[in-house]
Amino acid sequence: MKKQQNFSSEHLLYLKGVRKKSVIVNVARCAILLLFLLIWELSARFEWVNPFITSSPSRIAKTIGDLYKNGTLFYHVGTTLWETLAGFFIAVGLGYAIALLLWWSEIFRRISEPYFVVLNALPKIALGPLIIIWCGTGSKAIVFMTILIGLIVAILNMLNGFMSTDENKLLLLKSMGASKIQILTKLVIPSSLPNFISMLKINVGMAWIGSIMGEYIVSKAGIGYLIVYGGQVFKLDLVMSAVFILCVLAAAMYALVSLLERLVIKNRK
Amino acid sequence: MKEVLRFENVSMHYHSMQGETVALENVNFAVSEGEFVAIIGPSGCGKTTLLSLAAGLLPPTKGKVATSGVSFGYMLQKDELFPWRTIEKNIFLPLEIKRADTPQNRARALALAEKYGLKQFLKNYPASLSGGMRQRAALIRTLAVDPDVLLLDEPFSALDYQTRLSVCDDVYKIIRTEKKTALLITHDISEAISVADKIFVLSKRPASVVASHALSFPESEPLKRRENKDFSRWFEVLWKELNV
Repeated sequence: MKKQQNFSSEHLLYLKGVRKKSVIVNVARCAILLLFLLIWELSARFEWVNPFITSSPSRIAKTIGDLYKNGTLFYHVGTTLWETLAGFFIAVGLGYAIALLLWWSEIFRRISEPYFVVLNALPKIALGPLIIIWCGTGSKAIVFMTILIGLIVAILNMLNGFMSTDENKLLLLKSMGASKIQILTKLVIPSSLPNFISMLKINVGMAWIGSIMGEYIVSKAGIGYLIVYGGQVFKLDLVMSAVFILCVLAAAMYALVSLLERLVIKNRK
Repeated sequence: MKEVLRFENVSMHYHSMQGETVALENVNFAVSEGEFVAIIGPSGCGKTTLLSLAAGLLPPTKGKVATSGVSFGYMLQKDELFPWRTIEKNIFLPLEIKRADTPQNRARALALAEKYGLKQFLKNYPASLSGGMRQRAALIRTLAVDPDVLLLDEPFSALDYQTRLSVCDDVYKIIRTEKKTALLITHDISEAISVADKIFVLSKRPASVVASHALSFPESEPLKRRENKDFSRWFEVLWKELNV
């Protein structure tokens, strides 16, 4: 769009209206959060509820501060972050590669279909005991769990994207005499980019589920470990703090993917 | 005139679990160099199958599709420009596919784009162009590899009527200027009359050629032809043949 300097007064009014609306939305979002924190804090402070059970924003802040002071905050955050990211990237990369293979060969796709359906429906946590025996009780088991949870979703989402390539564009390339590898690189991969981004978004969530669930089953460190430990010794401040940190991290990772989306998908309609 | 494409008793059957569909039955026709040939037929009579056969994308079930070593360029109903490529990159696409992406070929393609008024849009993405301009870009993309014969599969049917008339005029002039042979497939009788030297009429499925006409108009441009008094006469003739 070209930049226009002299708008009509009606257009200016319209722009003003649009801006006003987005200001209202943003203010309301912040206000709801602040109000929620305020009520939480006040009801804990005046003991309208039992702060031992509900914790409070100030107690969460203090707990995080303590974790920071005794030097374990970044240790736990780092452990979980490493497990999540490793699981995420392996699941996404492996999932993409397998989806490509399935796109390439129709017979392979048809043979493997029932397996994927079953594996997708299977609650991966049921494999917990097996994972412990196979991978031990360290980070390796947790990364493995994360991959298991993300992989099938990544494969199915990506395959769906590859398979929904526009028939007419395929015909066009074939009429030019394109080989299968050219069809893949010139058309299928670029046109499935939006599917790739949405697959990343889904897998951000999956990776966090995987790593936290993995840490519930086996762990000596990490945010999931803090939650389980806090629950066992009834330190609910610790549980709440860990959940809060988790919120921040998951939101940050999602924001990064959204940023990538805006960078990559500019000119599509 | 040299013959560039000939269908000899071509039949085409499709197989599916529900049974066998006969799309084409004993189709015979020929296209000579430099001709603008239109094939009209009722909707769903296997027109697109016919083009796929001509382009060699499908082998015929029976009969023979003879092409005397000519190259084909395919143009579809919609422009099918890739939205993630600029117009320039879209025009280079067939060069990349045919591994002919040399500076000379690029320069030739760019010269064509420039000649037909696409220069200012080269760095734009398709989404910012009008329907007519996009279709023109699609034509230049088809011409980029310098094909001998253009196969046009209802290339204007996705456009609104107004744009359609002017784009048809536009495409016709470019094809004539570049001295290309063209095979247009359409269900639009008036479109066929306005551009073709020769018209073949297909029957309903299973389709075969039921009539052929050589048209001679003093005017060559589609829009002027539409004003000629012979235009409506031809329309009536073809209308009847299509509806038997």
